[in-house]
Formats: sequence, C-alpha cells, structure tokens
Amino acid sequence: MRLRPALVYVRTMAVFVAVWWLVSVWTANTVLLPSPPVVFDAIVDLARDLELFQHAGISLLRMVLSLVVAGALALPLGFAMGLRRGIDAAVDPTIELLRPISGIAWIPLALFIFGVGNTLPIFIMTYAAFFPILLGTVAGVRGVDRRLVDAARTMGVPRRTIITRVVMPAALPALLVALRLGVASSWTAVIAAELIGAPSGLGYAVEWYRELLMTPQVMSFIAMIGVLGYACDRTVRALAERFTPWAGDEWQR
Amino acid sequence: MNALPARTMRGLVLPLALLVAWQVWGMATTNPRTPTPTRIVRAAVELVESGDLPLSIATSLGRVFAGFAAAALIAIPLGLAMGASRPVERNVDPVIESFRPIAAIAILPLAILWLGTGTPAAVLIVAYAAFFPIVINAIAGAKRINPTLLRAAATMGLSRFAIMRTVVVPSALPAIGVGLRIGMGVAWTAIVAAELAVGAKAGGGGTGGIGSMMFIFYAYSIELNRIVVCMIAVGLVALVLDRALRAAMRWLMPWSAS
Repeated sequence: MRLRPALVYVRTMAVFVAVWWLVSVWTANTVLLPSPPVVFDAIVDLARDLELFQHAGISLLRMVLSLVVAGALALPLGFAMGLRRGIDAAVDPTIELLRPISGIAWIPLALFIFGVGNTLPIFIMTYAAFFPILLGTVAGVRGVDRRLVDAARTMGVPRRTIITRVVMPAALPALLVALRLGVASSWTAVIAAELIGAPSGLGYAVEWYRELLMTPQVMSFIAMIGVLGYACDRTVRALAERFTPWAGDEWQR
Repeated sequence: MNALPARTMRGLVLPLALLVAWQVWGMATTNPRTPTPTRIVRAAVELVESGDLPLSIATSLGRVFAGFAAAALIAIPLGLAMGASRPVERNVDPVIESFRPIAAIAILPLAILWLGTGTPAAVLIVAYAAFFPIVINAIAGAKRINPTLLRAAATMGLSRFAIMRTVVVPSALPAIGVGLRIGMGVAWTAIVAAELAVGAKAGGGGTGGIGSMMFIFYAYSIELNRIVVCMIAVGLVALVLDRALRAAMRWLMPWSAS
C-alpha cells in the first residue's frame, strides 16, 4: 500500500514526536528536554504575544535589506566580470583572497566597528550573501550561449540591448540559483550575528531564553528559524519557477 | 618574463593597491591600535612565535575533525540506504528536511544547555552542521547509479549486501566526496561561530579555539591587529582544508571527473 507523501510525512514526524516525548518523560527535566506539549504551549503563547513574529520580522527585514545591498553590489560587478575578461582578471584574485574568510569570522572586528545593533547583522549578512551571488552571476553570464550573442551582434543589435535582451534572460536561471545560495548563507549568518551582537531578532531571542533557562521558548524560536529558512528557500524556488519556467529541473533542485 | 604573469600581474594590482591604501590610511590616523598591514604582520609573527595561534587552530581543528567524523559515520551509511531504498528514503526524508533549514548555530544554545560550554557542545554543533551536506550528497550519489550495473549485478545473483558493496558504494563515492568537502567547509565555519558565541555569551570564553581567541581579543584586550590575524588564519585554514580534500579525492578516486 502506498501512502501519499503528506501522510508519510505526518507518520514520520509522529514517530519523531513520540520518541521525543518518551525521552522527555525519561529525563524528566523541563530545562534539559521539555515534552512536546510544553513546547507547543510555549509556541502558542509566544505567537499570541506576537513576540515570535516580532523577532522573526526583524530578522527577515534584515535579511531582505542585506540581500538588496549584496545584490546591488554583486550583480553589476558579476556582469562586468562575466562580460569583460580584463575586469575579471583584475578583480577575481581579490575576491578569491577574501572569500575563504567566512562572514562569521568578521563578527569580532565588525562588533568593534559597528557596535551591537542593526548594522552588525546587516553587514555580516551582506558579506555572506555577496560571494554566492557574485560567483553565480559570473558563472551565469559566462554560461550564456555564445551563438545567441553572436547572432544578435550579426543582426546589428547594440551592445547595451544585447546585455538587457540576450544576456540577462539567458543568465536569469543561474542568477536565481545564486540568489537561493545567497539567501541560505545570509540566513545562517543572521542567526550567528544576532546571537552574538544584536539586541533583537531570532538569534538574539534564542540566546536570551537560553540564559533564562526557558528551554521551551528556546525550542520555539529554533523551530521558527527552521520554518522561515524553509519558507525563504521555497519562495526563491517559486520565483524561479514563475520567472524561468523554461529552465530545466537542474536549476530547481 | 614568461607568458603567464601578464594575467597574474593584473590580478595582483588591486590587492596591492588596497594594501598600500590601507597602510597609508593607517599611518595617517595616529591611533596605534588601528590595524595596518605592517602591524598585522608583526602581530602574526608574535602570535605564531608565542604558540597561541597554532594552539588555537589545533584546538579548533580537533573539534572539527571529531564532529566531522561523527557526522560522516552516521550520514554516509544513512544516505546510501536512503538513496538505494525508496521506502527508507520516504520515511526518513521528512525528519532530515525538517531539520535541514535550522542553521547549526541556532541549536548552539540548546547544545550549551545539554553539554555545557566546552568541547562536547562545539563537537555537536560541528557534527550537526556537517551532517546535512554529507547525507544529501550520499543520497544523490546512491541514486545516480547506472541501472544497467544494478541489473547486471542482480542477474548474476549477487546478494543485496554484495550489490551495495560492489556497485552502490563505488559509484556513489564521487558524490560522497563532494558532500564531505562541502561538509568540511560548513564544519569549519560552524566551529568559528560556535566558539565566538560561547566566548560572547557564556562568559569567560576560556574554552580555547580560534573563535574564542578572536573574541578575547575583541572583548578583553581590544587588539584589532590580532583579530585580523585570526580572520586571515580562519580563511587560510578553510582554504587548506578545501584544497587538501580536493587533492585527496582526486588521488583516491581518479575516475571521478570533478
């Protein structure tokens, strides 16, 4: 008998919750491992106070802001590097020198420069999102079929129009993949940055309730981080399906 | 001069110009704490000579290897089983997909509650971070097997275990290698984040490791030059780990293209 995927999902998660419940009964320690209903109550309470959504909103807003900044920096640079070998040769080594230094490694220095506040997480996330977007853009622009560009050029299409009407649409699937990677890395970075150096946001809330030893609330916020991370990924995937329906499956997985 | 340097030289112009500009700016601002390239080099020499930096890196690497090994030991067999058997995949996948969007650093507060602020919590974070890329690539690897090979093996009467050992594992190895490489990168980022956060939030910050050392330079002795040395060290270690794994894969699996 084959069950529908949704049913399989529910069944698996039911097993997971049952195991969790049994272990929590066995440890009998609400600080170490609260039982599922306790955590569920905490989620409902936090949702009713809107606290859950306030912190989530702040983190999401920071992510969107940093993606806009990272995109504004990385897209033009990526197009320039992808279209002009000279620019690529001049800039690429600098990028490759900086790229291995993870955004998280910048936190202590950024803490010193910006202090605890809004700027720090946005800076860290922008840095974290910049490299995947840039590399994806360069690869996407370079992967554009030369024959399309040559055909347009043969027909006397000006360079600017070639970029907007040929290169951009052809590179769009790769750009959306780059955006997906950027979203994933900035979402990881926001949690780290907020946990260490922000007075608000999901990462801050998780650590705040840890210090108060309120584990059910800690787990509620962790669950929220997971749900939003998943939702962000689905959103970008939906964008990709909506705007680049011609792109094959390889871009969507 | 030979032919190669033309491109290399052009690539060096920008970093060198940035370094010079940085040095000039640092010398113009009279604050002796301002990081400049020369002060950073001096700080690096001090940190290496005193043995602090090598020791911190070794501490962090030890945690990374422990967590990474634990993740690989669980993720590779699990991923292969999921990729080879549809029922296993359908039943286990929901748990993996539910936890995958949760960043490793987000479970650090829980790890601290469970295991305290020492090495076990850091190892748990590393293992959690490395687990997902490894398992997902192992699944993909086990699925990408040429069905003809499977049918041939079945025709020749091989047992399920023998098929696993002689067909599934060898053809999945390149994908597993990719997963290990990605997992190692993620693990290294995670350990720096975990040590930083432990230093920042659990007080003291005396648990060792490069992340914790950076935080001490920030919070207690405000030595920006040394922070930058640590950042460069973090980047270098990431680069060396990645290159080493790439080389190991090429050596162990010369048949895999990339």
